[in-house]
Amino acid sequence: MTTSNEDPAVRSARREAWVVFGIWLAALTYTIGYCSQFGYGRSAEDLKFVLGFPDWVFWGVLTPWVVCSAISLWFGATFMCDEDLGEELPEQEDELGLGG
Amino acid sequence: MKIWAKNCPSRKTNSDWGVDPMNHLISLPLFAVKTTQPSDFGTLAALVVFIVASMWIGWLANKAMQKSSFMKGFFLGNRGLGAWALALTATVQSGGTFMGFPSLVYSHGWVVALWICGYMVVPITGFGILGKRMAHLSRRTGAITVPDLFRSRFDSPMLGLLASLLIMFYMSFMMVAQFKAGAVVMKHSWPGSDSRGLSEDLPAFKLTTNARESLKDRGVPAETVEKLVALDDKGFDSEKDLRAELSKVLSEEGVKQHAVAIVGAAEQLDWHYLIGLGVFTLTVVSYTLLGGFLAAVWTDLFQSVMMLVGVMLLLVLVVSATGGPEAATTAAVAKLGPTYAYGPGYDPTGMGRQFLPVSLAFSFFWVWVYSGVGSPAGMVRIMAGKSTGVIRRSIYLLAGYNLMIYLPLVVICICGRALIDLPAGKTDSIIPELSIFTTKDLPGGSLIAGLILAAPFGAVMATVSSYLVVIASGLVRDVYQRFINPHAPQQTLRRMSYMVMIGVGVIAILANIRPVAYLQVIVVFSGTGAAATFCIPAIMLAFWRRATVAGMIASMLGGAGTMVMLYILGSQGFGEQNIGAASAFRPYFLLGVDPLIWGLAVSLIAGVVISLSTTPPPAETVSRLFDVEPKLTEKPA
Repeated sequence: MTTSNEDPAVRSARREAWVVFGIWLAALTYTIGYCSQFGYGRSAEDLKFVLGFPDWVFWGVLTPWVVCSAISLWFGATFMCDEDLGEELPEQEDELGLGG
Repeated sequence: MKIWAKNCPSRKTNSDWGVDPMNHLISLPLFAVKTTQPSDFGTLAALVVFIVASMWIGWLANKAMQKSSFMKGFFLGNRGLGAWALALTATVQSGGTFMGFPSLVYSHGWVVALWICGYMVVPITGFGILGKRMAHLSRRTGAITVPDLFRSRFDSPMLGLLASLLIMFYMSFMMVAQFKAGAVVMKHSWPGSDSRGLSEDLPAFKLTTNARESLKDRGVPAETVEKLVALDDKGFDSEKDLRAELSKVLSEEGVKQHAVAIVGAAEQLDWHYLIGLGVFTLTVVSYTLLGGFLAAVWTDLFQSVMMLVGVMLLLVLVVSATGGPEAATTAAVAKLGPTYAYGPGYDPTGMGRQFLPVSLAFSFFWVWVYSGVGSPAGMVRIMAGKSTGVIRRSIYLLAGYNLMIYLPLVVICICGRALIDLPAGKTDSIIPELSIFTTKDLPGGSLIAGLILAAPFGAVMATVSSYLVVIASGLVRDVYQRFINPHAPQQTLRRMSYMVMIGVGVIAILANIRPVAYLQVIVVFSGTGAAATFCIPAIMLAFWRRATVAGMIASMLGGAGTMVMLYILGSQGFGEQNIGAASAFRPYFLLGVDPLIWGLAVSLIAGVVISLSTTPPPAETVSRLFDVEPKLTEKPA
């Protein structure tokens, strides 16, 4: 529920939270999906390596980890916008019951 | 590549591990050193350096916080945290993560990479979901603590009090456990200690090799001592358990004659432990008294940087010593079987225990993420961030940090398996053992090893320090100032804060003279319990206008109640007992997943249903915190 008068900081924070939730869900789905498929119940003869990592760790953990780090860089450097956090409530007004 | 060959006490040939000597692994020295060397003064010296550095940081923080009122300076660092301080201290786990985690990799193999990989999104979720809104709301309301936020967002002192009590409930568990961890690390660092493991846990009685040998000096015959080898490194929670085990390996007469000496030698909570407990408590309480919130954050930052340096250094040393993870893995698989390279992980007990079935791998992707989002200590640090720019930068700084810590630690410990052969009870000492082992031939090696060893100790101190601040702020700000003496002068609040911190230190010492068992599980319960209790309410507080006081209370109690109930059921023996941690205090993994997921689900349903069934909050209260900022000079009606 939003209003036309909603603070831009609230609006952008909500939008960013949804994007982050989507990123988490995508990472969860890919990582657990891939690893459960290729990281369980295999034999020793089947062991293959990519850059020193067992193949399922490389594609199922390392690769998404690097991708998520890159997404974090993009998110923090360009997607998330700066907002004015507002003037801090002076401590003497705290007695009004606003929390300070 | 064979730098340790001449020092190796128990060489094995390649064929001992069942590896074809003609294959590419021929260059890898496929033997492991079975080692637990006595600690020397290097470790203790490194801890002393950390202690002195922490006191200095506390003094610096004391100077820095004197810019504004005591409360805002002491409990929130004047909202002045920069990106590095926020990134490396708000969501990075306690010292326990760095101590227990390497042991798990060493014991169970590559599947632990899947266990920990939720950390790939912890930076973006930890700061991106609630960060901006928490910082925004805390300024609008003037809130200094998390209960302050709940109280002012819903204009409900009762909700603030409930949040405060629940936070203190979880923090108390964590505090007692962490004090014990600090004391145990100090005990292990004592010169001559034969257990260098930075384990947080410590059984009340344990017959170590040194303890067994010392029995000869106490007049116990050599043949009796020899029989006690069967009890080597077994832990016992009580004297009764130890005596019961003694009666199995010794004759009735032997038990009667020597039990007192054996029990005395096996006593782990000795004066080394008690001195460690005293020194640790004195140090951490002192510097937190001096510098408050800032001291906690700065020591946390200090240890995080030290940890990164240590991990990078160790990665280079260990990989160059083994030839890399591929060679180490192939050797381990040849010896232990394919589960060391695949899920659900190698089972060192041989009892068919599954370390990480897919259902738990799924659970841990939730556990790490939402323990970060819902951590009250983490929320306070976000509230202390200087600006949204700081929060943004923290996301990618922490992403880079996590990438350089967790997977390298996995590689280090996988390689460590090829270098050092540790018995089941001592795997928590893998990082200390590797530090000593790989640096012993380097110039200044003992100093490097000491610094690597001291970093986890710093992490425990930083964790305790931050919890001290949260508990003191809970009692002084959320209880004393809110309900007992709202007009208390700054001087009184300062005195109260100091008294609370000293009181917590005294209680922690008393509680740890005979410490609790199942420490690691208690730490997990405390962290995930707090997440199940506060994560959904915090999201509702930040984004949902329709949330009500009753809904928030239902959400908190629903999450907390679910966690407590599932732990009680699990400890009573309900459900699958062959997955997760082997401990008498354990959760019931309903449908095989961690209780946190059920806690979050119940918290969400209860919060939404009860909010929608109760009267909406006053529009004016909501508008004040969601809409374009009202002028601060206008008093609320």
